Amino acid sequence: MTDQEMSVRVSAEDIEQWLMERVSYYLETPIEEIDPDVSLAEHGLESVYAFALCGDIEDKLGVTVEPTLVWDVDTVAALTVHLAGLMAELPSV
Amino acid sequence: MSAEKLDALFGNPRDADNPVGYAAILAADERHEMLAEGERLLDAYGMNAEFVPAAYGGRLVRADRLAEVQRELWRRDPCLGLGYGFSSLLGSVNIWSAGTDEQRTKAAEILLGGGRIAAAFHELDHGNDFAHAECAAVPNGDGWLLTGRKEIVTNLRRAEAMVLFARTSEDAGSRSHSQFFVTRGELPADRVLDLPRFPSSGMNGVQLGGLRFSDCPIPGTAMLGRPGQGIENALRAYQLSRVVIPAVLVGPLDTALRLALECVHERRLYGGFAADLPYVRSALARAYADLLAVDAFSGVALRALHLAPEATLLYAPAVKYLTSRIVLDAFEDLRAVMGAQGYLRQGSYAMFQKLVRDAAPATFAHISRSACLVLILPQLPRLARKSWLADPAAAEQLFDLGADLPPLDFDQLAVGMLSGDGLIGVLAETAEREPAGSPVGRFAGRFRDEVVALRDRCAALAPSDLTIGASPEAYAAADRYTVLLAAAAALAVWRSDGSQPEAALLGILDRLSGRLGGASVLTPDERASAEQALFDLAVERFQDRRLFDLSARHVSG
Repeated sequence: MTDQEMSVRVSAEDIEQWLMERVSYYLETPIEEIDPDVSLAEHGLESVYAFALCGDIEDKLGVTVEPTLVWDVDTVAALTVHLAGLMAELPSV
Repeated sequence: MSAEKLDALFGNPRDADNPVGYAAILAADERHEMLAEGERLLDAYGMNAEFVPAAYGGRLVRADRLAEVQRELWRRDPCLGLGYGFSSLLGSVNIWSAGTDEQRTKAAEILLGGGRIAAAFHELDHGNDFAHAECAAVPNGDGWLLTGRKEIVTNLRRAEAMVLFARTSEDAGSRSHSQFFVTRGELPADRVLDLPRFPSSGMNGVQLGGLRFSDCPIPGTAMLGRPGQGIENALRAYQLSRVVIPAVLVGPLDTALRLALECVHERRLYGGFAADLPYVRSALARAYADLLAVDAFSGVALRALHLAPEATLLYAPAVKYLTSRIVLDAFEDLRAVMGAQGYLRQGSYAMFQKLVRDAAPATFAHISRSACLVLILPQLPRLARKSWLADPAAAEQLFDLGADLPPLDFDQLAVGMLSGDGLIGVLAETAEREPAGSPVGRFAGRFRDEVVALRDRCAALAPSDLTIGASPEAYAAADRYTVLLAAAAALAVWRSDGSQPEAALLGILDRLSGRLGGASVLTPDERASAEQALFDLAVERFQDRRLFDLSARHVSG
């Protein structure tokens, strides 16, 4: 999927899959070992990765988020719901 | 009130009868005491008002002005600088940043009434690893019960109030610590034990205290911000102090250079004055260039707190990291010139050894150099991919030191990810504008080439290279990046102020490029000529009784 497609129409499943990939990248852990309902801090995601992930979210999804978003909404499942909500509010292209 | 007034109040430090001169400062240091007369003068000056925002009745409006006043104090006695000055700044920035109006008013009353606010963050077992701080508060009715230790905290025993950093949740992550603003009077005496002063090799007069809390009740209203906001608040508020401390360390370096210049003009060696030896002149010129580099880099970062506050999350650790090393290296060069005179605790130059000891904590105090790099590393891949050699430099006013600034706004200090640094663009712009064969043009080209090399390395950094466990190569890349930022800052400051001598810029860039290694950019003749000009300028400043920094302010001695 290209960035453009992502920002035009994106499903919650797409967001979750992409988040899992990013988290897997930062943790250097296979996707299968990441539980979307377990807190990212508990998975070992350090605070700096949380900032980096917020940067990725802005770059990829085109939404603006608080840099501390991942500290507060700290599971892949909860982040997916949150981001899908933000994306739904974006003006359609 | 101003740095000029503080200078006038303290008078000529070389005057043997001055009760706050070097002789008195050294005597207090030998007794391991704060200089009482100095503290009295600072009370009279109202130093604490410098740390209180104007909206709460103080004089804190501009970060550069705050630093200028502190530098004046630190150039005389770093013990007064830390023990009277910096300590309460460190405590209070968290309150200005995250406190309620009521908490800020209370903090202002304490400070303006001459009281102190200590910053009780540090635990010996955890160093800069605040995310693992153990001192913990558990809910207790409307408030909290605190248990644990805080160690090597300036003024903790004699502070009227403190900002405490404590774990408030057992969860992993960055929302498990909070800050509390409490007065000593609010803590029951039988739940708090003062620890003995921690012996240290410098800052002898400063009360480096500790506290042990045992189920100590903390009022619920003492919390700064929301539960779990402690790390975030420190990351934001400490951007100010992490820029101010490098700027004030120019003060002790100024005095050390002043003492060294005096020494080499007085001392006869090998049939002439020490000042006539080329080695000595070169060493002093280089130390002077280092001082100017620190002043320019920190000066830009101080302005950024007002003009580009979103970027100081990067500037603050970069300035703290690099300049603490530069200052200590310059001290080392001066030490080589001073020889035994820089080691003796008596005689005309005894102040020198005290400054060496007092400046030594620069590399680890407040935040260590490696912890600074850990704040920089996560920014590098994104900056390398998106910004370097693509974005222009920040607007000119960032580099116009001394020019007007909007008031400091703590709410603008941020955490997160940057998309540009505003500085690296200076290097490419200068390389394009300056004649390629000119010394400045060659330096700009050298630094731009380094950005190109660094860009590829940083864009490819693995996730494991973005945290404390990063490889030595990743740390080295971040280190080199700070050198480039400093070079860009100096080039931009000189571009903005045409009155600064080019020899000084060449000296700064020569020293900075030396930190990158590789072939010398200057020819031996160019270097000799720049260093001679720098040495002559330093002598002129010394004889005119002017500061060595970019302000060249006239001082009493």
